[in-house]
Amino acid sequence: MTTLLVTHSACLNHLTPAGHPERPDRLRAIERALEGERFQNLARVEAPAASLETIALCHPMDYVTAIRDATPQNGLAQLDADTSMSPGSFEAALRAAGGAVFAVDEVIAGKARNAFVATRPPGHHTEIARPMGFCLFNNAAVAARHAQKEHGIARAAVIDFDVHHGNGSQDIFWSDATVMYGSTHQMPLYPGTGAKNERGEHDTIVNAPLRPGDGGVKFREAFESVILPRLRDFAPELIVISAGFDAHMRDPLANLNLLESDFEWGTRKLMEVADKYAQGRVVSVLEGGYDLQGLANSAAAHVAALMQG
Amino acid sequence: MADNDHADVVRLPFERAIEELESIVKRLEEGKVPLEESVLIYERGEALKRRCEELLRLAEARVEKITLDSSGKPIGTEPLDVK
Repeated sequence: MTTLLVTHSACLNHLTPAGHPERPDRLRAIERALEGERFQNLARVEAPAASLETIALCHPMDYVTAIRDATPQNGLAQLDADTSMSPGSFEAALRAAGGAVFAVDEVIAGKARNAFVATRPPGHHTEIARPMGFCLFNNAAVAARHAQKEHGIARAAVIDFDVHHGNGSQDIFWSDATVMYGSTHQMPLYPGTGAKNERGEHDTIVNAPLRPGDGGVKFREAFESVILPRLRDFAPELIVISAGFDAHMRDPLANLNLLESDFEWGTRKLMEVADKYAQGRVVSVLEGGYDLQGLANSAAAHVAALMQG
Repeated sequence: MADNDHADVVRLPFERAIEELESIVKRLEEGKVPLEESVLIYERGEALKRRCEELLRLAEARVEKITLDSSGKPIGTEPLDVK
């Protein structure tokens, strides 16, 4: 069965201030990396826009409409020190969430084995009602909740290997026993959350912080000793990956030293769990990754692993 | 990318360095640092930590030198090569 690649050109129209690391070229770099011969069997589809009601599965409708209403007619509207909107941002955000939701639909319907959703803005910092850290809607969280509501998935897992902790996903699922959120990330670093003792109301939040300078060995240890055992115990029926590639050694925004092969390894490990418990269902959603070469090569390694199934 | 941005740190006295380091730790823990600046602030914290550790190492060596050289009474604080 095929691997789905979900993108949309509207995601290039979410503009950020000059010099901002979360920029349209990130998607162009990934797109170029996935043009090669070994990716010719990807099923490429355009991301539909999510409905506001679907996004409201994770965020209050007042928040969703406030983001819509914050969209500037021209120029940029600054939402916090890191996060801004341009005239094209709202559509991009709807398609980023919608792409993840569509990927869930296709994978659960059995039309694709798994999927990579290459869209922006990213999502995992968006809390229940607060945009932050380049993020407007929590795409991965919306996808997981949609799978539960529309497809009867009893237990979904969101596994996040972005170098920053997904405070937003943790916030959204803190009291939810039906979703496991697991994260490897650098500490100390933005946003300051993600300590081991942050476990959620039902012990379904699993944080495995790494130290600055850590590389593939420590990352794999954290996966093997913390994330994967807890994931197997949880026995998810769907795995959503918050796939940030900023733990790569080239990335300018953090100090971990992962290589392409580490992302490939992590992807394969998550697929093994999905094969055992979730009929292989994996939906991977792009988060961060700010060195274009590191991002493109890592995303390519990640997608190649998804295709190898 | 910030390798040369903390040149001033190597001249900071201990009190100033530890004060700034504490402030950085507090800001990182409270999540009040923008994402884009977070890594730069962390790296400055690392430079400050190294400066504090260096000053402590020098101070320890000086104390040790006094202890070793005194035969009952301190004889001064002559510089000691601790490399």
